[in-house]
Amino acid sequence: MDIKLSEDQNLLQDTAARFMQRECGFEFLRDIENNSNTGFCPHMWRSFAEMGWLGINLPEEYGGMGMTMVDNVILLRELGRKICPSPLLHTVVTAGESISRCGTEVQKRELLPSIVAGTSVYAFAFQELSRFFHPSHIRCEAKVEGDAYVISGRKMFVEFADRADTLLVVARTGGPAINRKDSSGLTMFLVDRHSVGVTCELMPTMSRDRQYEVVFDNVRVPESCILGNVDRAWADLEPAIQKTAIALCAYTNGAGFEMHARATQYAKDRVQFDRPIGQMMTIQMYLAQSIMELYGADTLTLFTASNMDQGLNVRGYVGKMKAFCAETVCRNMDTGSQIFGGMGYMEDHDTTLYLRRGKQLELMLGGTEYWLEVIAEEIIDRQPVNLS
Amino acid sequence: MNFEWSEAEKAYRSEVVAFLEEHVTEEVRGSWLVDTPARIEFVSKMAAKGWLGQGFPEKYGGTPSTTPFAQYILNVELDRFNAPIVGKNVGTIARTILHVGSESLKLDFLPKIFNNEGQWALTYSEPSAGTDLGNISTFAENKGDHLEVNGMKHYITSAHFCDWYWMVVKTSHELPKHKNLSLIIVDANSPGISIAPMYCVGTTTAERTNQVFFDRVKVPNSRIVGELNQGFYYMMQAIDYERFAIIAAAQHNRRFHKILEYFKEVDFAGERPLTDDPVSRSQMARLASRVEVGNMLERLCMCIAAERVPSVEASMNKAWGAMMHDETCSLAENILGPYGCLAKGSPYAALQGYIMEEYLMAGHGRIAAGGVDTAKTIIARRLLGLPNSFAPPVLSAR
Ligand SMILES: Cc1cc2nc3c(=O)[nH]c(=O)nc-3n(C[C@H](O)[C@H](O)[C@H](O)COP(=O)(O)OP(=O)(O)OC[C@H]3O[C@@H](n4cnc5c(N)ncnc54)[C@H](O)[C@@H]3O)c2cc1C
Ligand SMILES: Cc1cc2nc3c(=O)[nH]c(=O)nc-3n(C[C@H](O)[C@H](O)[C@H](O)COP(=O)(O)OP(=O)(O)OC[C@H]3O[C@@H](n4cnc5c(N)ncnc54)[C@H](O)[C@@H]3O)c2cc1C
Repeated sequence: MDIKLSEDQNLLQDTAARFMQRECGFEFLRDIENNSNTGFCPHMWRSFAEMGWLGINLPEEYGGMGMTMVDNVILLRELGRKICPSPLLHTVVTAGESISRCGTEVQKRELLPSIVAGTSVYAFAFQELSRFFHPSHIRCEAKVEGDAYVISGRKMFVEFADRADTLLVVARTGGPAINRKDSSGLTMFLVDRHSVGVTCELMPTMSRDRQYEVVFDNVRVPESCILGNVDRAWADLEPAIQKTAIALCAYTNGAGFEMHARATQYAKDRVQFDRPIGQMMTIQMYLAQSIMELYGADTLTLFTASNMDQGLNVRGYVGKMKAFCAETVCRNMDTGSQIFGGMGYMEDHDTTLYLRRGKQLELMLGGTEYWLEVIAEEIIDRQPVNLS
Repeated sequence: MNFEWSEAEKAYRSEVVAFLEEHVTEEVRGSWLVDTPARIEFVSKMAAKGWLGQGFPEKYGGTPSTTPFAQYILNVELDRFNAPIVGKNVGTIARTILHVGSESLKLDFLPKIFNNEGQWALTYSEPSAGTDLGNISTFAENKGDHLEVNGMKHYITSAHFCDWYWMVVKTSHELPKHKNLSLIIVDANSPGISIAPMYCVGTTTAERTNQVFFDRVKVPNSRIVGELNQGFYYMMQAIDYERFAIIAAAQHNRRFHKILEYFKEVDFAGERPLTDDPVSRSQMARLASRVEVGNMLERLCMCIAAERVPSVEASMNKAWGAMMHDETCSLAENILGPYGCLAKGSPYAALQGYIMEEYLMAGHGRIAAGGVDTAKTIIARRLLGLPNSFAPPVLSAR
């Protein structure tokens, strides 16, 4: 066993850290929040492509780097430290992985190289008008009409939808779900964002990112837009979502580490009662508790990624990882802000960018309730425990 | 023992409720920290009923109160109606003036407070004097018949519309820490005062607070409250009242019930969180018991306050309240899933973004007005008799 980074991984980490340090400061973040109509910087996106980051896990035969999920975690953690806004997660991980996993040869040849090159952005149209993430809550429908499908429905929290070229839409083709655990009857479609009948409306959020409500009003798409098997999308999509969850947790942990480092530095610098506030046991306990949780979260994320790289079934680990990282990092944003005292709650103070993202990162890609149920299924309903 | 209100208290409460039903308009609702004409008019109507000065001597404009709980009953009902509560003006300022102020300050300011003439800003915090208020450095120099104030304060809520600053300044370079501060009243329109806004994290409805700069501001000696250089002790006692008067459990109840009622009604395409989801049900039920405990700590605090300054109980009330703010908002967000993060302006935002905004400011209660850490320290020291952790090691002192 060895948790040291390889030379290449060190290089990746350093390159990413240096790039983020240089390009993704608070002024940049505020400018994106307040003035950008895309929610990310297209110029930076091109740099991502040039550095090969947009092909990180994609197969080499389609232009990707063919790197591991552990590498992805190392990269995303650096992006997360500087809470860098970009459509990488759903373009490269969710869509990239779904296409490489179940696309036809034609689709792979056509679509993957343009992801790697940074010339096409994907948005993930999954969540609907439900608090729940489980696919049984999907009602958006795709009906056969001759040699085409007609999609009707409403998708929520479609990040970067307005700027995306393609929407990865999960729609119902096999009738309504029979219960809350039913994940059958779904099909993935790759829909041109500019198709007739697609409209996007911005949903203003706490972190001021770009989430959209997307309405599909009888959107006709050819059969060639289907990705994977009809009615059986979940078998391909669930592993892609697991990968997305790992990348998201890596990002989230990075954000948590950065907030923690800032709070720790502040605890050393801020003097009250003639001593740095970090000399007070209360502050030490807050910071010690948080860093212990962050170490746990980070190691669990790397472990899950590494197991995935080995081709093992990681469903239970993904559940534990997502549930733990999400809650932990959000709480860490809260205690971190608290250490900054009044400043931690002033709009102009930079750490409020982290505070505003904590809860939202926790609730993205399925709230904790969803992932707890995944864990329960794995530990209670499935996995036999060998106590000897 | 008797937890029931007396007949007189019940009658008073009905009177309050009837008054609020008549006078709390949409403009009055939620005007907590903003000085709107509707708010002033509303509070003046309460003043006309004699409700602001209850329990204070009549010679200063007070009115006899039928019960020591009158102020509490009033605040709970005000809060239930989402109207501005009777807060620092009466709870902190009038009380301190009554206890330590000169006769002329009492005659001058108490009737004004009870008639709702003019607004006040608590003016303590400075960049290097946060939790450590003993470290205040804004200086008031003795110029014979007046003081001359120079320095800067920050996080001063209400400064942009107040008439007076209720302010603690340093008045001696020689005396030791804590014995060198004085409490003064400064006219907001005195020459030499300027302010700059500071906004709390959030969206359009974010709270505003202020930086306030004092440049050679003249304050007559008659505006010194109590004795010179005793300001720290007056401020500490006043903060005990503030913990209780401003950070009351009633707020947390209202927040909890507002969210509970919303969850009963809200319908996500046919799913209702509290009727259809056993997990949310049980989480809200558990929270309900914790919110109820907050009510108990507040009752405890009230009963003690009828007899003495409730410093330990006020600290418990304060700390628990801040925890409930946090727990309630965080749970509400979790139950809503991604919808918990929507801001005002989205048709899907829960309670028009209220839950999200409240979540962001939950941490504020953990640090302001003597935060959770300070409250717990007070409990450990004053209730449990544990030694001051800043003092030298006890054994080597022997
Ligand atoms: C089941 C068991 C097995 C043990 N086995 C061994 C053994 O094999 N060998 C051995 O040498 N010892 C052993 N111990 C003793 C153990 O190491 C001591 O109990 C421990 O060091 C704490 O010391 P104490 O009990 O004197 O408590 P104290 O040191 O008096 O501490 C009392 C409380 O104060 C807290 N506290 C103390 N100092 C600080 C501080 N600076 N900051 C914050 N909080 C503080 C502690 O956390 C604790 O809550 C064992 C104890 C137990 C319970
Ligand atoms: C929205 C808002 C409105 C406010 N309104 C007013 C107002 O109207 N008037 C006014 O005078 N002030 C006001 N304040 C200021 C508020 O009272 C201070 O923020 C508070 O006293 C904390 O001071 P600080 O921000 O300097 O934090 P610090 O004192 O620097 O504290 C930083 C952190 O250290 C912790 N800490 C400090 N000392 C200790 C200790 N001894 N033990 C354990 N932990 C400790 C704190 O809990 C906090 O987590 C307001 C603040 C806010 C955010």
